[in-house]
Amino acid sequence: MGQRHGAADRRVKAMHYEDRIVTAFMYCAVFWALAGMAAGVYVAAELVWPTIDFGLPELSFGRLRTAHTTLVLFGFGVSGLIATAFYSVQRTSHVRLFAPGFAWILFWAWQLAIVLGAASILAGWTSAKEYAELEWPFDIAITVAWVIFAVVFFGTIAKRRVESIYISNWFYGALIIVVAMLHIVNSLALPATLGKSYSLFAGAQDAVVQWWYGHNAVGFLLTGGFLGMLYYFLPKHAEQPIWSYRLSIVAFWAFVYTYIWAGPHHLHYHAVPEWVQSLGMVMSLILLAPSWATMVNGIMTVSGAAKKLKTDPALKFIVLSLAFYGLATFEGPMLAIKSVNVFSHFTEWTIGHVHSGALGWNALITFGTFYFLVPRLAGAPLYSARLANIHFWLALAGTMLYVLAMWGAGVSQGVLWLSLDELGEVRFSFNDVMAAMKPYYLLRFLAGLVFLAGAVLMAYNLARTFAGRQTVKSAPPAVATAGARA
Amino acid sequence: MPVQFSISSLLTVLFRPKAVFETLAAAEPSAPKVFFGFALWLGLLPPVFAYFGTMQFGWRLGVEPVFLPRATVLAICAAYFVALLFGFLSSAVVARWMAVTYDASQSLGRCLALMAIVGAPLAVGSIVHLYPHAFFNVLVLVPVLIWCMYLLYRGLPVVLGTGPNRGVLMASALIAYLFVAFVSLLGITVALWGSGMGPLIGA
Repeated sequence: MGQRHGAADRRVKAMHYEDRIVTAFMYCAVFWALAGMAAGVYVAAELVWPTIDFGLPELSFGRLRTAHTTLVLFGFGVSGLIATAFYSVQRTSHVRLFAPGFAWILFWAWQLAIVLGAASILAGWTSAKEYAELEWPFDIAITVAWVIFAVVFFGTIAKRRVESIYISNWFYGALIIVVAMLHIVNSLALPATLGKSYSLFAGAQDAVVQWWYGHNAVGFLLTGGFLGMLYYFLPKHAEQPIWSYRLSIVAFWAFVYTYIWAGPHHLHYHAVPEWVQSLGMVMSLILLAPSWATMVNGIMTVSGAAKKLKTDPALKFIVLSLAFYGLATFEGPMLAIKSVNVFSHFTEWTIGHVHSGALGWNALITFGTFYFLVPRLAGAPLYSARLANIHFWLALAGTMLYVLAMWGAGVSQGVLWLSLDELGEVRFSFNDVMAAMKPYYLLRFLAGLVFLAGAVLMAYNLARTFAGRQTVKSAPPAVATAGARA
Repeated sequence: MPVQFSISSLLTVLFRPKAVFETLAAAEPSAPKVFFGFALWLGLLPPVFAYFGTMQFGWRLGVEPVFLPRATVLAICAAYFVALLFGFLSSAVVARWMAVTYDASQSLGRCLALMAIVGAPLAVGSIVHLYPHAFFNVLVLVPVLIWCMYLLYRGLPVVLGTGPNRGVLMASALIAYLFVAFVSLLGITVALWGSGMGPLIGA
């Protein structure tokens, strides 16, 4: 009797989606968002008041700024992506997650890697590769964790009960495959000690490999991964089918093919061959087409869902994130044009560009998605729609202030750096220009504070929604749907 | 109260925009009248302020002021005027083009009037160009810009008759266009400068 019950329990359990893992990753994503953004606000303050590192190397700009990017990219960004990938791949495949035990190993491994990784950066370990600063022991751990992610994700797709593989899964799949490729190649190094290794590539080659990695991390993680999120959660939110499914497929392949070539635009006027730079520039310009195809698809999908805006504060975040996605994916190719880059390179304009994408697109769409997910996972309405609305305005104001401050700072820097005196010498010293930046840095600090305040409100709102509740158990549709797999 | 769209109705537009929105919803303004009677003159303000400010005080970017020859300043201000006009007209045309999707009014007069009212605070706020200290300008114009965005979200559903929900979507789509238009202007400016068409500061 007991045995029969056990077997029945197992069958029932097997029918439920594994959503506790989604909740866990989402909680961690919110935690890392707060920690990473707080670190960002602190380094912004250091640029205004340089002595607040108190002479501690752990608080120095170089280390804390790296901890900031690591926490927001890999803590907040990747945890959010894994949470949403696991949620959507089960629902688009009509099956429970493949090997949930593996998924939990991934969860703990990833969080441990972030904690220890951030600590190692603060302790001064660094490979000195941008967005890949973690040293070789972490690189190996991340590779193993990423393989587990691939096994769980593609395993779920392999046992799907629906014939076609939905577009969001193509983007998440591309994220997994390409980031694995980038991470492994860029991290190839000879370890010298536990905390120090030397890249296998040297000089200009190292730079090309680094920016092949760096730009495609932007491409396949911050763009492709989050497009996966968009393609699943936007139609769900809007209760509308994608405006053009065909366009989404065409844009996917164009995106994958084009992005991979664009990296050298980070190395304009550097010691890499001229043709490599020009290739990077041309491919960056072509990239605008698939990027905007997706934006148009998103805007047209949501255009039929006007009624939902009133009742669903989360949808506003997604609508606005599309506007910033449009801005960032236009500004990027534009900054890749060599005659623009000669002016903008190394100025704060670049930092503004990154944040119009990171705050306006990545963070806003993730916030919108979390506001959508939490009531469904908790089985209760959002604790406060009003707080979510306030968060929306804080996020918009913070992002706009940040971007405008950096535009002002960047253009001023560009003008001043390129100013020559009567003898054709550089007219203003680095110190003069740096001192002129102080008011903009203060504005940027305030912008960061406003954005962080919004994120704190969200964390409180989501925690209150979940307070005293368990993740709801939901099951795949019992009947075969159209397009079911034989 | 009917809005004549002459420059004399500027105060009404600035201080009672909501009343103007409602008037526009009731009566369709003529496109040439909005453009020649109102928008064109507003568009002249920023370059004129910028001209006098630059000649008097020089560009102040946080270091010693940068003075430019009169001909250069004139050329920059003329280009500024053309860019503003292009931005204004193109946003009205883009709004009209988007109107099909959002089931909004496709009247060019209404679209022009909406963009003129939304842009009016910025045009008047550009009085800060009289003292071209970059950060001072950013500090004053950012709140003005946020006010303009608010006007767009509030005014669009009324003037173009889309209803509040669709209005939010269409206003967001328009903002995406305006972002892109603005950032293109930055890019075009520095690209032209990079190719030797800009001011030679200090040379």
